[in-house]
Amino acid sequence: MIALIIRRFLQLVFLLFGISFLVFSSMYIAPGDPAAVIGGPTATESDISAIRANLGLDDPFLVQYARYVGNAVQGDFGYSYQTTQPVADAITVRFPNTLKLAIASMVVAVIIGIITGLISALRQNSWLDVSATTFALAGISIPNFWLGAILILIFSVNLQWLPVGGMSNPFYTVEGLKELVLPAITLGTGSAAMIARMARSSMLEVIRADYVRTARAKGVREKNIIWIHTLKNAMIPIITVIGLNFGFLLGGTIITEKVFAINGVGRLMIDAIAARDFPMVQGSVLLVATLFVLVNLLVDIVYTYIDPRIKYD
Amino acid sequence: MKNRLLMVFTLTFVLLLGACSESTIPEGAEGGGQGNGSGDVDQEIIYAATSDVVGLSPTLTNDSVSSNVIEQVYEKLFVRNPETMEIEPKLAESYETPDDLTWVIKLKEDISFHDGTPFNAEAVKYSFDKLRDPETAAPRASLLEPVDEVNVLDDYTVEIKTKYPYGPLLSALSHANAAIISPEADEKQDLMQDPVGTGPFKFVSWTTGDEVVLEKNEDYWEGAPDLDKVTLKVVPEISTAISMLQTGEVSFIDGLPSEQISRIEALENVDIIRKEGTPVYYLTFNHSLERNQDPEFRKAVASALDRDAFVEKLNGLGIRNDSILGPQVFGYDEEASDAGTDYNVEEAKKLVEENGYDSEPIKLLTANRDNFVLMAEIVQAQLTEAGFTVEIETMEWATFLDTARTGAYDMTFLSWSNVTGDGSEMFYPNFHSDNVGNSNRAQYSNPEFDKLVEESRTTIDENKRKEILNEANHAMLEDNAAIVMYHGIVTAATDKSIKGLQLDPNGQWNLYNVSRE
Repeated sequence: MIALIIRRFLQLVFLLFGISFLVFSSMYIAPGDPAAVIGGPTATESDISAIRANLGLDDPFLVQYARYVGNAVQGDFGYSYQTTQPVADAITVRFPNTLKLAIASMVVAVIIGIITGLISALRQNSWLDVSATTFALAGISIPNFWLGAILILIFSVNLQWLPVGGMSNPFYTVEGLKELVLPAITLGTGSAAMIARMARSSMLEVIRADYVRTARAKGVREKNIIWIHTLKNAMIPIITVIGLNFGFLLGGTIITEKVFAINGVGRLMIDAIAARDFPMVQGSVLLVATLFVLVNLLVDIVYTYIDPRIKYD
Repeated sequence: MKNRLLMVFTLTFVLLLGACSESTIPEGAEGGGQGNGSGDVDQEIIYAATSDVVGLSPTLTNDSVSSNVIEQVYEKLFVRNPETMEIEPKLAESYETPDDLTWVIKLKEDISFHDGTPFNAEAVKYSFDKLRDPETAAPRASLLEPVDEVNVLDDYTVEIKTKYPYGPLLSALSHANAAIISPEADEKQDLMQDPVGTGPFKFVSWTTGDEVVLEKNEDYWEGAPDLDKVTLKVVPEISTAISMLQTGEVSFIDGLPSEQISRIEALENVDIIRKEGTPVYYLTFNHSLERNQDPEFRKAVASALDRDAFVEKLNGLGIRNDSILGPQVFGYDEEASDAGTDYNVEEAKKLVEENGYDSEPIKLLTANRDNFVLMAEIVQAQLTEAGFTVEIETMEWATFLDTARTGAYDMTFLSWSNVTGDGSEMFYPNFHSDNVGNSNRAQYSNPEFDKLVEESRTTIDENKRKEILNEANHAMLEDNAAIVMYHGIVTAATDKSIKGLQLDPNGQWNLYNVSRE
């Protein structure tokens, strides 16, 4: 296990180097000059060249990249071209919001997804199964921005139960929880549908396994068969889907953050790309990559807990 | 088993650590939120902006959201009166021009910056020198490019020497970029994050990407404002901002999109403010291309465009007027309003057919924001009707700016908000040959026009300047060098409890006279 963790962290270092080079070169090649964006349409040539010189954009590509990496290994991820704010600070302010949103939507997704999948599998081909499968299909098909807008219209504008947007209160307060409800449902629905489908098919497979039949024949109570013998064994593919989804959610969820005016990493990244704010793009992409690796590692460790036969050493 | 569980918890803890490292409650942001509770008469307003401020230093930023905050915190020597459009002294007391190269400006006395530093001639010199210094790399350093030196004559008198006679100097000094900063604060702290000015509101906090909070300046030299607290909240999605306005979570929004106007009009608790503005939206040719240099070609394009039909699609948020300098811009003359080429599709068809203009397709470049895509689609349909073949190329903003600057297009749409409201500020950056390949994205180069623009800049007499700008305006119209699609109407929607909000024709606003009832 320890070996696995060490191996993953070593891989992470190489991965981050590779990613930083890819991001740096693609931003370098991409059309659009950060100095022109900062200067705005009214800036003259002399204005723009002064900004370029100030940001060090006139240096050759490799010089710029080496400077970036040199600073980054010392923990300095540079300053935003646009706001002159340290990149690390900008990310630190936003990451808690993205994390809150990702966890809340995962909670929504896991609860709804597993329960729906379970009912669906246990009552295969009943009306419950059909409704659950329909829900899953709808959940995957409905676009986030539409669902978000409709939820705002119903629960914030008409019923006035929940705030329209923003995320400025701590999650353990009533106000903070209220802010989380709609974005979590908006974002969680898609993942819930995916988990439900996976849970259904995985349960159906396990439920027909020989050992389940044997357990039944031995007179084990149905409750124990489902919770102990079936669900636990069906969990491996479900955990994989949950882990993958959670990784994506941590990368920031641009549309949900935009619709609900949440100050998260997804919005930071997309705004930085639009403004050609290279250091900010780099910083946020590296964060997302690191989180993805950590979440996957977590999933691998959880596997060994669920299925003790899995060993990494 | 225990070890594995421990590891799961450790990794989960590492992930959660980030969440706990920073408080998400911005300083001074208590209250606010659901404003439809009991405290409706709280002198507090929340403005929703679709993007965050870039920074809070007037010297180092040049975007409208930052300007909106900067205008409340800092002040300039001169301002343009939004009603009369005349330039009036603000921090200045009076000025005189002993000769064409010298401006002597008397300053108001007994004014202090928020940090207690006295406002005086030294502060003015410091601010202007900082803006002009190439080391600063200010985005609008060019605003004071004609300035040769700034001298302190006494505590409250500055002298500005220009390299050549410079007519629009007072307009330039009324631009947000020329606001006066506290020299002491600038040396002590980063004004981008922690601004200090002389304005009616003081800076409290900025949570990047989320909100900026300002509070009343009790010691403001014109008397404290009514509002105790002002919050700029970032709400990127305009339809969310409208819902928040409806529920009272925000109290005002601006820059209303034409397609949302009917929704906002239907809100019972909301007032809409509309005002004829300085922004202009136009179709321009890439004048460096041989085909576009043919006056008959440009005439054919202009005749094919039914701009009345387009303006009708804007739900009242556009003004149809041929003139390149809009009615709110210094240099405009009424007779220019219909001096462009009239819509005549038959004439256009004839020109296309006679000259074979349909042989090669036109690449119509457009940015994917505001009304640009709508403009491109309608113009494409109208030009197609006249016999042209038009291909639209849509790009995101940064790529568009770059592509248009280098002239990799046949025709494109450009706009200009004209913050100073001066005609020279429209013509010089956008159409003077000095700026080809940069801000002159039309790549327009016309020696006679250049001469008129230069004269408009180097003449001090306002009446004479107006005549010259009018002449330059007519020259462009006769040439069909650019075809104005519409002049903008600047807008805001406010909660009905807000009184006294006045919009500038450039779309900016000042909250000094605003209160809640």
